[in-house]
Amino acid sequence: MSHGHGSNPLAHPEVQMANNRSYVTGFIVASLLMAAATVLVSGHLLPPFALLLAITGCAGLAIIAQVYFLLHMDLSEHSIWNTVALIMFIPLFVITIGLTWWMFSQLYLRTMPMIPGMPGMH
Amino acid sequence: MLVNLPGPWNPWLGRLALSEIPYTNPILAPLFVVVVVLGLLMVAGITYYGKWGYLWKEWLTTVDHKKLGIMYIILGLVMLFRGFIDGLMMRTQQAMAVGPHASGMMGAVHGYLTPFHFGQIYSAHGMIMILLAATPLLVGIMNIVIPLQIGARDMAYPYLNALGLWITAAAVVLIMASLFVGDFAHNGWFGYAPIFELAYSPGVGVDYWIWTFQLVALGTTLGSINFIATIVKMRAPGMKWSRLPMFTWASLSANIIALTSFPCLQVAIGLVAADRYLGTHFFTAGFGGNLMLYTNLFWLWGHPEVYFVILPAFGMISEIIPTFSEKPLFGYVTMVLATFAIAGVSWLVWLHHFFTMGMGPYVSTEFSVATMLVGIPTGVKVFNWAFTMYRGRLTYTAAMYWALGALFLLLVGGLTGMMLSIPAINYMVHNSVFVVAHFHMMLLCIVYAIFGSVIYWFPKVFGYTLNEAWGKVMFWLFSAGTALVFIPMFMEGFMGMTRRLDWPFDPHWAPYLNIQVLGILVYVLSILAFVVMLYVSIRDRAQHRAAADAWGTSRSLEWLTASPVPFYNFAVVPQVNARDEVAWRREHGLSAQRASHYDAIHMPNNTGIAIIIGGLTFVLGFALTWRIWWLSLISLLAIIVMMIYRSAKGDPGHVIPAEEVERMDREAERTMPRADLPRHSGGVLGGAIAYDSGAAGEGSANLRGAPDYRP
Amino acid sequence: MSSAAEKVDPEKVVLWAGEHEGHDVISTRTFGFWLYILSDGMLFATLFAAYGVLSYAHSYYTGPTPAQFVAPWYTFIQTMALFLSVLAYGFSMTALKHGNRAGVINGLLAASVLGVVFLGLDIHDVLRMFGMHITPWTSGGLSAFYMLTQVHAAHIFFGLIWMLVMIYQVMRKEFTEEVIGRLISLRMFWQFQAVMWVFIYVFVYLWGYMS
Repeated sequence: MSHGHGSNPLAHPEVQMANNRSYVTGFIVASLLMAAATVLVSGHLLPPFALLLAITGCAGLAIIAQVYFLLHMDLSEHSIWNTVALIMFIPLFVITIGLTWWMFSQLYLRTMPMIPGMPGMH
Repeated sequence: MLVNLPGPWNPWLGRLALSEIPYTNPILAPLFVVVVVLGLLMVAGITYYGKWGYLWKEWLTTVDHKKLGIMYIILGLVMLFRGFIDGLMMRTQQAMAVGPHASGMMGAVHGYLTPFHFGQIYSAHGMIMILLAATPLLVGIMNIVIPLQIGARDMAYPYLNALGLWITAAAVVLIMASLFVGDFAHNGWFGYAPIFELAYSPGVGVDYWIWTFQLVALGTTLGSINFIATIVKMRAPGMKWSRLPMFTWASLSANIIALTSFPCLQVAIGLVAADRYLGTHFFTAGFGGNLMLYTNLFWLWGHPEVYFVILPAFGMISEIIPTFSEKPLFGYVTMVLATFAIAGVSWLVWLHHFFTMGMGPYVSTEFSVATMLVGIPTGVKVFNWAFTMYRGRLTYTAAMYWALGALFLLLVGGLTGMMLSIPAINYMVHNSVFVVAHFHMMLLCIVYAIFGSVIYWFPKVFGYTLNEAWGKVMFWLFSAGTALVFIPMFMEGFMGMTRRLDWPFDPHWAPYLNIQVLGILVYVLSILAFVVMLYVSIRDRAQHRAAADAWGTSRSLEWLTASPVPFYNFAVVPQVNARDEVAWRREHGLSAQRASHYDAIHMPNNTGIAIIIGGLTFVLGFALTWRIWWLSLISLLAIIVMMIYRSAKGDPGHVIPAEEVERMDREAERTMPRADLPRHSGGVLGGAIAYDSGAAGEGSANLRGAPDYRP
Repeated sequence: MSSAAEKVDPEKVVLWAGEHEGHDVISTRTFGFWLYILSDGMLFATLFAAYGVLSYAHSYYTGPTPAQFVAPWYTFIQTMALFLSVLAYGFSMTALKHGNRAGVINGLLAASVLGVVFLGLDIHDVLRMFGMHITPWTSGGLSAFYMLTQVHAAHIFFGLIWMLVMIYQVMRKEFTEEVIGRLISLRMFWQFQAVMWVFIYVFVYLWGYMS
């Protein structure tokens, strides 16, 4: 439903927020972090738990960089609702994954025979 | 790559064969004849009166949120009836089959339904009532009311709105098709692993169940995006968040729940589909699958869904009670907070559907406590409604009856829910009919709110009020039915009767089951009362012409515009000055004020693409159910092509000139009873005087807090 | 109560707003689409939850685990293809800012070529694993692995179709509010796939490899 207020749609703030420097920064930061994570993992450079923490950190920083530099999530007038919606969703992502994992780790603790030395993630 | 099917399959018809049509079934075959005859009669009637063009132009291609809402509600009422018939069959079967010596007929050992048929009935009943009756009814009412309450011309995406309706309609057609072609799932409405796996349910029933679920999930997600965007982006000037009507707040929270939870359902059901179609091992017994993972993923959606359906009902109650108490809603801010608290906690409680899984005390404790927490905001709401009525000028209209009845059921359902939130009790009554009775109390609370709001908003949409006397007759019959069916059910639950028994083996249950059949008969009478109410109201519509403010004491913005609502909603977009704008204008003697200047209005065009895509999604669902691969592929491609076509075509919309708007507005004004003469005392005394003009409203300070209700 | 009625002057109070501010078509579209993207994120979150439950040792049913078949550097190349594609799309958006039609089309073309590279690498990887008899129907753990990675690939596939449609629309149409709204929506969609890919790459591929 076009309202046609006569103004040039290219002047819309969401068009004008595009910014090459920001996109390149996001790209470089995310790429470096992913490369670092890959180097750490492929060389098994850290003990397992430290490695897990390290790559989780890399992922977290890369996500923040992408969300900020690429998706323009900030508190400006034209992004605020998108940011609010994102912030509202994040706890739900955490709940969905976190409580499910917790629930099943407790269930497995009680129902699955633990075989020492079996490969797995936990 | 695809699984090996048990049974025949051919490339053209998939698993479809003449033998899949149950023409020998003594129940379905006559029903099929009745449906075909009714369908032919409808087609003949429409052709005879030459209404095809009208139907296509005014309804099937419409993007008007009110017409879409009406169609949602009709869809929901039809499915409510279908679900009720399923309930009637379950009640009669159990009453006939109770005890070890009960006789059987029509192929059943006990009663008249075979276990396989009975399984399909309870599965269809649950799924229909939640997803294809309650949800469309609520979405329909939200569709009609939200844009009016916030002063918008339409939804944010009118075309998407139509698409949501037609995809939901496709889901309805798909589940109805399962009656006559093939069979339906027999694994309960929420399914159990691994019984829905191909090895244990080789027929197409589970596939119907899967694709119906997927379609309705898609339709509801599209709808929820639309509602949220509408409320965030389309409010009239001055409609600040602090002035948003309570139903809109409730709908906002409900749609946030829908938006966030339906993807979980799509994944849960999608993984079942992967197991059945591709042979993966998500929920298989063995090969590393996890049976309880399914239950977990399903209720991850399932519990938020419960609040998705109950929050709009709370919103409806919050609109009806202040109107008929002639007071503003007590505790507006706490009401909003309570609504969002319920929405938030709804994400932390899903495990209470399977406390018996065995994950140990820590996990159970968290979910038990979280479940109990729901009681706090719900309690806040109940007290707010009670305080709204306290020392108000109460008018016991039919709508008010339903709202008060809903409060009573909420109390019964809520307190039994508190009992069930305790894991130790849950272990005792898990999967008993006590649980069934509990959630029927909650769902009937929603049904009560829906009937109340249908009566409440009917004059706004159609321009005349429904017959009050028959509305009350229906209320009393329906309530008697509810009591007769569900009080014995609570007792049976304590006697150890589990749910879904095609053969209730214990003869001690017989008296209770017989009372329930009596209750069902009373329900039948209440449906008749509903039909009579519609008939009488339509017959006498000229005498019951509604003013813009149909009840004389209404409060929110939808009552500002003409009844029935013109297709453009507001001839001139109102400037909102207060919370409860209409009450504010009435109070200040501004009700009769009309805009002096009209502008041209830009409206979206009708489109046939939505219904075509809806039809294609049905074909896709049907083809996938029967594994007709070529048809699935073609319908999927056709959907994509239609979307690209619509994208290329766009919608320029059309403009209604200012003079035309003015003419239509004057015409509506002329045919309506006077809006500035409320039926009661004029709203000068009692609560109608009190309003809250919101944070920045002028002179609002002395009006907030406890108003003076001197007679 | 002394009513506030006298405080409102019926001559001065503003009761009607009129059409003076039509709503913002682009923002309304992109906000709605962002909501869809977030619900899509919920879909991925649920798949991650399923993957978490199905990534225990017993979930692989004594069959192969990701540690045995994941090739980190191969998947890193995939990562770069996707990141570069997103970058190219960003350049296209900057061209749009200046109304540069050719720049928009070049950016979109580059983004889609890189997207095809990503998809090709993914398909090649799947075929390699199938060659090693590592399939989704081997075990629940592998079902979850394939589902998560291939649902992402399906998003890329539909994004590519959309991109082709947009290239056509940019060539044939003016930069209307509809076209711009779609371009921005697709930008968010495409960038969001990169965000999801970070999670998949780190927590499915890398973590799977190290376990």
